[in-house]
Amino acid sequence: MDLHKFGIKFFATPGKRFDILKLIPMYHRWIQHKALQDLLIDVADYSHVPAGPGVMLIAHEGNYALDETGHERGVLYYSKRRLDGELPERFARVAARALTAAQLMSEAEEVGGALTIDGNRLQFFANDRLAAPNTDAAYAELEPALKSLLERLYEGVPYTLTRELDPRERLSVRVHAAGEAPVQTLLERLA
Amino acid sequence: MPVELAREIDVFEGQIELKKLGKIEDKLFAETRLRRGAYGQRYDNGQRHDGIAQRSLAYPSTRTKGTDTLWDAPGMQRIKIPFGGLNAQQMEVLADVAEEYSDAICHITTRQDVQLHYVHIDDTPDLMRRLAAAGITTREACGNSVRNVTACSLAGVCRCEAFDTTPYAKAMAYHLLGHPDTQDMGRKFKVAFSGCKTSSCGLTNIHDLGFIAKTWSSGGVTRRGFEVVVGGGLGAVPYDAQLFDATVPEEEILPLAQAVCRVFARLGEKRNRGRARLKFLLEKLGLEEFRRLVLEERRILRPDPRWTEYLGDVERHHEAPIKAAADLPAAQTQADDAQFQAWRATNVYAQRQPGYVVATVTLPLGDITSWQMRQLAALARRYVGDNIRTTVEQNIVLRWVLEADLPALYAELTRLDLALGGAGKIEDVVACPGTDTCKLGIAASRGLAAELHERYVQRQKDGQIDPVTRDLHIKMSGCFNSCGQHHLADIGFYGVSRKIGGATVPHFRVLMGGEWENNGATYGLTIGAVPSKRIPEFIDHVTQRYLAERAPDERFKAYVTRIGKKALKQMVDAFATVPPYAVDRSLYSDWRDPREFTTADITTGECAGEVVMQIEFDLQAAEQRNFEAQVYLEQGEVAKADEAAYQSMLIAARGLVRTQFWDLPDEPERIVGEFRTRFYDTQLFQSPDAGQYAGGKFALYLLNRHADRERSFTADKARHLVEEAQLFIEAAYSCHQRLSEHRTLALAGADAGAVAEAVS
Repeated sequence: MDLHKFGIKFFATPGKRFDILKLIPMYHRWIQHKALQDLLIDVADYSHVPAGPGVMLIAHEGNYALDETGHERGVLYYSKRRLDGELPERFARVAARALTAAQLMSEAEEVGGALTIDGNRLQFFANDRLAAPNTDAAYAELEPALKSLLERLYEGVPYTLTRELDPRERLSVRVHAAGEAPVQTLLERLA
Repeated sequence: MPVELAREIDVFEGQIELKKLGKIEDKLFAETRLRRGAYGQRYDNGQRHDGIAQRSLAYPSTRTKGTDTLWDAPGMQRIKIPFGGLNAQQMEVLADVAEEYSDAICHITTRQDVQLHYVHIDDTPDLMRRLAAAGITTREACGNSVRNVTACSLAGVCRCEAFDTTPYAKAMAYHLLGHPDTQDMGRKFKVAFSGCKTSSCGLTNIHDLGFIAKTWSSGGVTRRGFEVVVGGGLGAVPYDAQLFDATVPEEEILPLAQAVCRVFARLGEKRNRGRARLKFLLEKLGLEEFRRLVLEERRILRPDPRWTEYLGDVERHHEAPIKAAADLPAAQTQADDAQFQAWRATNVYAQRQPGYVVATVTLPLGDITSWQMRQLAALARRYVGDNIRTTVEQNIVLRWVLEADLPALYAELTRLDLALGGAGKIEDVVACPGTDTCKLGIAASRGLAAELHERYVQRQKDGQIDPVTRDLHIKMSGCFNSCGQHHLADIGFYGVSRKIGGATVPHFRVLMGGEWENNGATYGLTIGAVPSKRIPEFIDHVTQRYLAERAPDERFKAYVTRIGKKALKQMVDAFATVPPYAVDRSLYSDWRDPREFTTADITTGECAGEVVMQIEFDLQAAEQRNFEAQVYLEQGEVAKADEAAYQSMLIAARGLVRTQFWDLPDEPERIVGEFRTRFYDTQLFQSPDAGQYAGGKFALYLLNRHADRERSFTADKARHLVEEAQLFIEAAYSCHQRLSEHRTLALAGADAGAVAEAVS
């Protein structure tokens, strides 16, 4: 499977809330200081859309967001351009970008400690229905690379996989690993 | 996918490849992509002010897709939705492409289009193909073309319309799409249909060409037709449309539109972009002369069976509800949920068909997520089938909802976070993209709109908005170009900037007293400018004054007129002050954008498109066809290669001839005949000063191939012909260039003569 457009959302601990408009100055600061590896272009504010992508940071390589789809807050990154390397390598790189953003965001002054990311809960999705439709066959092709990523992230800790079954939605899997998985630890494992 | 749409997208993809190879110049490629709806977006010149300084965005490629427009910079994709009509499948495809190529948001525009932002040009062919497979085209969504044909979102179910304008709007949209008579206009051209004169949804007054439905009796038979208005438009200086003809029968609307487009293409301004819309031509010529020219043009049009064929579709047009009204148990309409009743009061319109209603899905700032769009499509399938429309107030309506289904529909919309009330009320703020994504934006119209929207939604929940105030319309644009239709609002705004103590402060200029009703009949008066950050308190002040001072039943427009401009100016002036930067920095940045405000990011917009002569598109198409000939040759399809090479020469020849004879039929015999007479016999094609293309032999490549009717196809012959075709096309380019230079010199001479005459 030649998949380049895909994303990972690491879910936030439920309960803690803060005004996502505070992300706007934070993202602008990130752009000024080139805080992330991507070419950061602009900030897109969709905070007025309930359960939407929140406030996004648009980059050339991919988009970042504190996504609120389904009223489930989480740090999201998805790639938009061609990526080098084999599929497991690409997955790891995208996961690392999401985790880096999650770490920076959690520590940001604007967020005031109100965001904790549960590294053990994530959603992986293929953002390309032409290359990876939401079918059993496509999932079977993608699964080994996904499991390779999860092995790196959770190092043998058991996890559950729950697939999105609505064929209209993207090929998507929710992962829930047992126990805690701090963002920093996950980043170190992907390094 | 319709073959023609597939071919159109293949051609565009080919042009992308040719551009990458450096074979198409920026200006031509820009207009080419604009005519496919692929628009530029803010910062696409690779420069962005990050709040500290102007920085370069180091994209991987230095390639360009237009003048000062970088290839890798994200752009906007506009998607035409004629008369706002959507079906569930189309909604699903829109949701998918927004998710995969954009940022998972579909944005509904004030002209019923859908826009996607942050789209890479390389993704556009796939995006367009997926849309085309669902019957959606992006063709001529931007550029100097006929834009989306809009119509009342209530057409067919409205209680006050003369008749359903839907099939007429549809016929107009597809008749003018790609029509030769609409390909050489100096700027965009907007068409709208309204079912009546009194309501607002058609907004014919602000359009280049507006059709207002009417019926009359003739010989005892009820006839259908339209009152036709021309030359309306907003922009920096708004013009009211003028009555062209009070009664145009239905069979005449397509040829009349064609004739108007031809006059506009022929006589409209091409060089001065600011004066190139139809309204300026009308002003220059006067209505009577314009009418005379259009009717003259209409008289000489070659008859086209499509002018009346569509009337069969009109008769067959029938929107069917998916549930029979007989199923309606009236008791179910009486849900006692207060939130439901509040939503129902603002978002539900009783259709003229008993038992059915239109439910408006209010979209904050016109935005809907991909997930919501997909779920809404599923709801539509269950409740209304394919009876869905976008609206000019940036919402979506579900038509033919059974009244008894409303509580259930409301519950489902609530689950999707789409049960926001207040459709068409003060909280339903309309805004163009402004500085969020538009290259021309001066101030953050969406930032301000979001702020106002959220405030009013909260106040409504808290019971703090007077119903009279709630009826007001607020609309805003990021600049004077009026995409947010601010002239039609009770209180409208457009972005400007002011220098205060050496710093730049975002402001909005205030307009009051515009009229949304009667097809947007009256434009608001511009009063003065207020700093962006003070707009909410300014609106509060104005609305409080209105509530306190209004006569019983006095509408806002009447109130504004009564108290007069002086009083209004005083209100504005009271909020115009800006504290020094050292005292309060907050006014020196815009809503939801903490960067210190600057206008440095404003660049040349693409609304006006690029002025590219039709011949240049023709020559490009000729190249494309000859490229396809080469591919056929490579695949060993000799006959196809030969034929394609021949066609490429015909396309180039036709382009040249059409610079002199616009109505040249697309028939090889006529093309070659006219080419021979006008370009070969006259030696224009092989002019002695034409350097390497001097010889007449290049013209003979076409003439000989055309005469070779018993041609046998061989690989060698095909290869030679492909080479010859390339030389013919190059010679055509040279000929066009030479003739253009002569025309320019002649014009300069004429101008100089005119100046000399004026001086003497």
